[in-house]
Amino acid sequence: MHIPDGFLDAKTWITTTVVGAGAVTYSLRQAKLALEPKRVPLIALVGAFVFAAQMINFPIAGATSGHFLGGTMVSILFGPWIGSIVMTAVLLVQAIVYQDGGITALGANVLCTGFIGCFVGYGSYMSAMRLFKGKGRAIIAWMSAWLSIVAASAGVAILLAFSGTFNLATALTAMVGWHMLIGIGEGFITMLVTGYLMERSAVMTRGGLGHERVSRNRA
Amino acid sequence: MSAYRVTEHKRRWIVLALITIVIACLLSPWASPHPDGLERVAEDHGFLDKGTAVNELAVIPDYEVAGIPWSVVSIGLAGGIGIVIMVGVLFGVTRSLTRSGGDRIERRTNGLEGIDRT
Repeated sequence: MHIPDGFLDAKTWITTTVVGAGAVTYSLRQAKLALEPKRVPLIALVGAFVFAAQMINFPIAGATSGHFLGGTMVSILFGPWIGSIVMTAVLLVQAIVYQDGGITALGANVLCTGFIGCFVGYGSYMSAMRLFKGKGRAIIAWMSAWLSIVAASAGVAILLAFSGTFNLATALTAMVGWHMLIGIGEGFITMLVTGYLMERSAVMTRGGLGHERVSRNRA
Repeated sequence: MSAYRVTEHKRRWIVLALITIVIACLLSPWASPHPDGLERVAEDHGFLDKGTAVNELAVIPDYEVAGIPWSVVSIGLAGGIGIVIMVGVLFGVTRSLTRSGGDRIERRTNGLEGIDRT
């Protein structure tokens, strides 16, 4: 779902670049507060996994393909602020080194696949985990990843429509339609990887499910 | 209520590292060449050719290292280079975040710990 240069008109890409830069600056500040030094190598490794997994386009419905994005996965593991920084780093490297995703569209891509992906995924995951008291974690992970892809594709559709490419209703139908299928793959990868990399903690934490709060003290 | 956290089993992280290397270097050449969701929509609605690439300085455009005749090797190499860059960039960024803000957070956490202990 990487928007190339040329799809967005000047007002749209300039706006999304400014807003995107602001959002990244803010999340760097937030991530600083949530970051434990011992997590640094793990975050770098998960970021490399996201990059690698994004290279693998899987076929869907004949002559179309989809690929993993990873915002929800990283956010479930490390929280949405670090998640959005990891996604921004992946998108930056892809645009600069691999010409995948436009330079003018970088802000839009960071906002849609980065921020929308991370926060919609993390928000729905945490709400559902609270609601069901942590039961059915795998299904919740699957659903929230699926939802994050659908939301991100709606974001892209809105930006395309705003650019005058095609009207909003058509854009939403087309983008959301395809990404409801692609999101199935996103859900499975998110479910499997978070299931493998997370474990129940015996420590009772304030708020019950704070992934970041479990061991705040710096050893 | 139970809480979840990222695992501290080193072996699982090593497995993730191995999976990452296998995907980037060995699996990537066999990815589906079909257009992805957005490209499909652009094609169906006739604006695919509006797409351009401003960045002409990209070192490895389209995930193929130039000058290698075998695409399996050039794509696999592009993937390998990518994961090294990603680890480097994220290690640098996150480490600088823990360092530059270190003092302030240290004091804050210590303060909280002090309250917890009393």
